[in-house]
Amino acid sequence: MIELTNVSKSYRTDTIETLALQRLNLSVPDGEFLSIMGPSGCGKSTLLNIMGLIDEPSEGSVVLAGQPVTSYNGSKVARFRNEQLGFIFQSFHLINDLSVVDNVELPLLYRKMGGKERRRLALDALERVGLSNRATHFPNQLSGGQKQRVAIARAIVGRPNIILADEPTGNLDSHMGGEIMDILTRLNTDLGTTIVMVTHDERMARMTHRLVRLSDGERVS
Amino acid sequence: MLTHLFKLMWNKRRTNSLLFLEILLAFIVLFGVYSFALYNLDRYNAPLGFQTEHMLGVAIDIDDEMDSLDVLRLQERIKRDIRTLPGVEDVTFLGFVNPFGGSTWGIGGDDNGFDAHVTLTFAERDYASTLNMKLRDGRWFEEGDENEKYPPIVVNGTFHDNFYPDAESIVDTIFILGSESHKIIGVVDHYKYHSNFEEPYPHVFLPPQSNFTGEPFQQLIVRTAPGRTAQAEEPLYRLLVDATKNTDVVIWNMEADRKKANRPVVIPLAIMTIISGFLLINIALGLFGVLFTQINRRRAEIGLRKAMGATPAAVTAQFVGEVLVVTVAGLLLGTFFAVQLPLLELLPIPGKYFYLGIGAAITTILLIVALCALIPSRQAARLHPATVLHEE
Repeated sequence: MIELTNVSKSYRTDTIETLALQRLNLSVPDGEFLSIMGPSGCGKSTLLNIMGLIDEPSEGSVVLAGQPVTSYNGSKVARFRNEQLGFIFQSFHLINDLSVVDNVELPLLYRKMGGKERRRLALDALERVGLSNRATHFPNQLSGGQKQRVAIARAIVGRPNIILADEPTGNLDSHMGGEIMDILTRLNTDLGTTIVMVTHDERMARMTHRLVRLSDGERVS
Repeated sequence: MLTHLFKLMWNKRRTNSLLFLEILLAFIVLFGVYSFALYNLDRYNAPLGFQTEHMLGVAIDIDDEMDSLDVLRLQERIKRDIRTLPGVEDVTFLGFVNPFGGSTWGIGGDDNGFDAHVTLTFAERDYASTLNMKLRDGRWFEEGDENEKYPPIVVNGTFHDNFYPDAESIVDTIFILGSESHKIIGVVDHYKYHSNFEEPYPHVFLPPQSNFTGEPFQQLIVRTAPGRTAQAEEPLYRLLVDATKNTDVVIWNMEADRKKANRPVVIPLAIMTIISGFLLINIALGLFGVLFTQINRRRAEIGLRKAMGATPAAVTAQFVGEVLVVTVAGLLLGTFFAVQLPLLELLPIPGKYFYLGIGAAITTILLIVALCALIPSRQAARLHPATVLHEE
């Protein structure tokens, strides 16, 4: 369960203050596949960052998995992110100097876990996204769609309850985008993972359970 | 995490090859400097075995035509008169090899049943007392020694340790020197007369009656009271010119001579230390540069790691760890080369100095690398993931 109450976020420079989110309320029940849409600069990514605990709200409270995470300190936030959250980015953010399977293992490095167990979970995650035959390849040997599938494997390898996807199909053609959506839908259905996805693509948004629209930092639907 | 670091650095081996080479080069230079410095420091710390402060060395020219008994009488008169000079505490004559004079007189052979090479000094009865030398065993030359069956000799501790390592005392031992038997009557602790950095070497003191050159002793060492050394020079000069009827009198300060004798080691050591210092500064600056560049290139990765659950400490450890992996690899290869010196005994320096040099060079490089890596790494750890993940 994700519960955002009266969340506001403002960015202040010397001269101006920009309001990215204004008193936003949002509740995402466990197992929901939610999409967020809106024009550029409306606060979608800011909202996702706040849900992902990689940004802090200026006001309001955030409750994730029943825990009031707004008050968490640095190491507790890091642990929460590692155990409860999975991230998927538009530009994949794979580490080019690591093989596919090593990229997938990345979140598990920050857990107390043996190397064999890490490797087993990473290969399982790659199997789930249909890339087990590419485990020893490097990211620059993969297509865009394959890279995003590796990023999804990396997001799910730690068995998080929530996956936050920031325009996961934004850099892909419609065919590959469709494949990625299939994988995300399967994850949501098979594992019951809560997924919050920011997208510009109305077609992709229609494939999710619910659509939330933002405009100028406010929820409009 | 360590495996991850090794894997990452192995995959980045081309990028890190210059850093690896820099570390390897720095290690080899530092290892050389440390080994040389430690070896010489140990030598320097070993006592000279005699006093050099407030001491004057003197060379005179005694008339070659003078009768040997007259020479002895003249030498006795000179010593007696010098002792009456203000500020003078003691005086002695000695043969051709004087401390820090740069000369060596050596002799060697296997007449004793083992190979024995020694250096020699011809010295008088007053020599040990004038130079404040300490005897570890036996005694120095005395009056009446000339009537003994075997001419007496005094040796140094290295002579005892090298030739008679199992003997508790070697006093009264007969030692053949230049095919003539001598009796060891005393052992002095140390006698380093070339410089503070001299390697211990077996040394033998012979009394005037063993002087086989036939030349009279024409050098003196004068001990003065503290603070009176410079004042003693002029009256000493006048006295010696009067006594020898010859203005060919040279006086030098033994302490200054000692410092001069140390220069062949001190100057290269200072140059090497300066070069190493610059090298270390170069490494430090290079590391700063490399790390700042890497961190700028890897901002998204830092954001990603933090989003995946890395704490700031884990990010710092990641970057410091990466540099340390390359450093350790360079140090391992450097150590492999360095240990060949003691193992193959390629240089006449005891192996322990090379091992100490390896340890000191490793410690210095690791410390510098860790310190230099820490600052940019901590900066990386402070990057905000929300910002850096959206920069691309």
